[in-house]
Amino acid sequence: MNVLIVEDEKSLANEIAAFLKSENFLCDLAYTGVDASEKIAVNLYDFVLLDLGLPDSNGLDLINHARKAGSEASFIIITARGAVEDKVKGLNLGADDYLAKPFALVELLSRINAVARRKFKIISQDILLGDFIVQIQSRKLICRDAEVEVTKKEFDLLLYLVLNKNRVLTRQQLYEHIWGNILDDQYDSNFIDVHIKNLRKKLNAYAPTEWLETVRGVGYRVSADQ
Amino acid sequence: MIKLKIKLALFNLLSKLAFTALFLLVMSYIIERINLRQVDNNLIQKREKVLELIGNIGIEPFMTSDTTDAFGSYNILKEEFISLEKTDTTADLNFIEETSRIIEGDEIAYRVLNYSFMVDGQKYLLDIGNSLTSIMQEKKNTTRVILVFLVLIILITFLTDLQYNHYLLRPLDRITNKLKGISNPALFDKTPVRTNTSDFYSLDHALRELMDNINELFQKEKEITINISHELLTPVSVLRSKLENLLMKTDIEPEISEKIEESLKTLHRLQSLVNSLLLIARIESRQYLREETVDMNEIMREILNELSPVAEDKSVNLREDYIDNYQFKDANRSLIFSMLYNVVNNAVKFTNTGGEITAKSVLRHGRFVITISDTGKGMSPAQMNSLFSRFKSKIITDENSTGIGLAITKSIADFHNIEVSVVSEPAKGTTFSFFFPENS
Repeated sequence: MNVLIVEDEKSLANEIAAFLKSENFLCDLAYTGVDASEKIAVNLYDFVLLDLGLPDSNGLDLINHARKAGSEASFIIITARGAVEDKVKGLNLGADDYLAKPFALVELLSRINAVARRKFKIISQDILLGDFIVQIQSRKLICRDAEVEVTKKEFDLLLYLVLNKNRVLTRQQLYEHIWGNILDDQYDSNFIDVHIKNLRKKLNAYAPTEWLETVRGVGYRVSADQ
Repeated sequence: MIKLKIKLALFNLLSKLAFTALFLLVMSYIIERINLRQVDNNLIQKREKVLELIGNIGIEPFMTSDTTDAFGSYNILKEEFISLEKTDTTADLNFIEETSRIIEGDEIAYRVLNYSFMVDGQKYLLDIGNSLTSIMQEKKNTTRVILVFLVLIILITFLTDLQYNHYLLRPLDRITNKLKGISNPALFDKTPVRTNTSDFYSLDHALRELMDNINELFQKEKEITINISHELLTPVSVLRSKLENLLMKTDIEPEISEKIEESLKTLHRLQSLVNSLLLIARIESRQYLREETVDMNEIMREILNELSPVAEDKSVNLREDYIDNYQFKDANRSLIFSMLYNVVNNAVKFTNTGGEITAKSVLRHGRFVITISDTGKGMSPAQMNSLFSRFKSKIITDENSTGIGLAITKSIADFHNIEVSVVSEPAKGTTFSFFFPENS
């Protein structure tokens, strides 16, 4: 998929590009609003990651122009402003999602994938983990034909790890994904540990969960072959 | 503390009382003088009459008594007496004195005129007396009437003073009411107080101008905080992305991974701090909308439900006791959630295994109150003092917290006109109470 990263902080733009490239995206960079307008007019992008705080133009105008010009790119707004009005304005103008700086790169990826699934109507495949099947569409966890009862938060946690399989997620990344940014100050690594502990306890009653690993000093990882 | 209008009225009352006391003293003296003068005139008139009588009929008819060479007479009520006797003194006597005489066993105070005169070579002394009892009585009565009258006047003027002071000082009352309980100059009621008293007008005017200036400064400070926060978040963002990219590399040593995660944690503290400052600055400059209606019991259930896995893990019992409910109008749901969540989360953090946290909602004197009590380690008075200050609450010691959570709670409460009170005892526990405004 083609992604245009519109961000005046070059160093940040490069990091995002490096990460998305490793996830097999094709990335273009624009450091100014003018540059971005030109690139959107010329190229076809699936996604535009747009920083609202551009020095030469208001990012929101850019969405407006692109939409009028018939661009079908999905816009994901990235901003340090984070003010409610900006969020509402951005989403009203047809932005698909909104991320406040600083964000986790895996969170950005997860948002892009979510938009892509909606846009291209991709039906998520069930995922196999040892004796467990994670049914993403129906949000169920099955083990040998029996449904494993987990709470909504536990399922979200497991799903996020599964969607980022073979990658270590830090407690903070997990916390931010599930609890959002509003209670920022209350981030407590203990939360994630307690939920993982409970999840493991529930799953272990059905089958071993050696695929759910604790990576010492870093976080958690789901290992899967597929 | 006493209200100004009461003080003024009391001062008026006291000054009137002093004046009345003085007036009564002077009055009674004057009345006494006037009465005595009248009595004296009376006595002189009577003397003239007696002398006239003696001139007409001679002294002999008075000196008929066999026993003495004297004459005495008094009326039945002993109001007056007259006595005439021969005397040997050579001096001429003509004076009036106050003296008491014993008449038929009663000692009575008299005003007595002493007068000596010669008749046929013999000197006589004439005493005419007038009892002072009636004068005293009269004086007493007059004083009493005046006293009653003055007391009545004082009472009436005291009440009218109170009323008038109340009316006169009403603009001042309004000004003090406007100032009362304002936690933020932005909340100051800018409508001018109606008054034709120039002092109040200038006071009100000066206050409004002052508030405007403070407001402007506050607003500037908030803007600076917001701008600095934005500027800080960009480099944090760059660093975070770089560290996360590093962590995702598969070929790094576990120790390096750990170091990177530690750096990410530290960076997250910075991020939390900046975000918290931003949040408070935004709340205080009223950038959040208040247009939702929040079901308070429902939001409490949600918060306790959210925290129950952590509490269960610590074997802390969560109790819910919702007696009354409240629909909080014109509120911001996410902010209200944060406000209460911070407090419950702290309670869970600081309550030991086996402890208990109780969330309660109840109507108290018409006001809806949510209390969150724990059986945790409690706080000392010193800790309580800095509880809501940014960065000062040393009770929060874990490395993930910036110690700003309760400052956020306080600013959200202020933003919604919610009063917060804390009662805490070391080793016994802490109770937070949130008093919600009455729905209009």
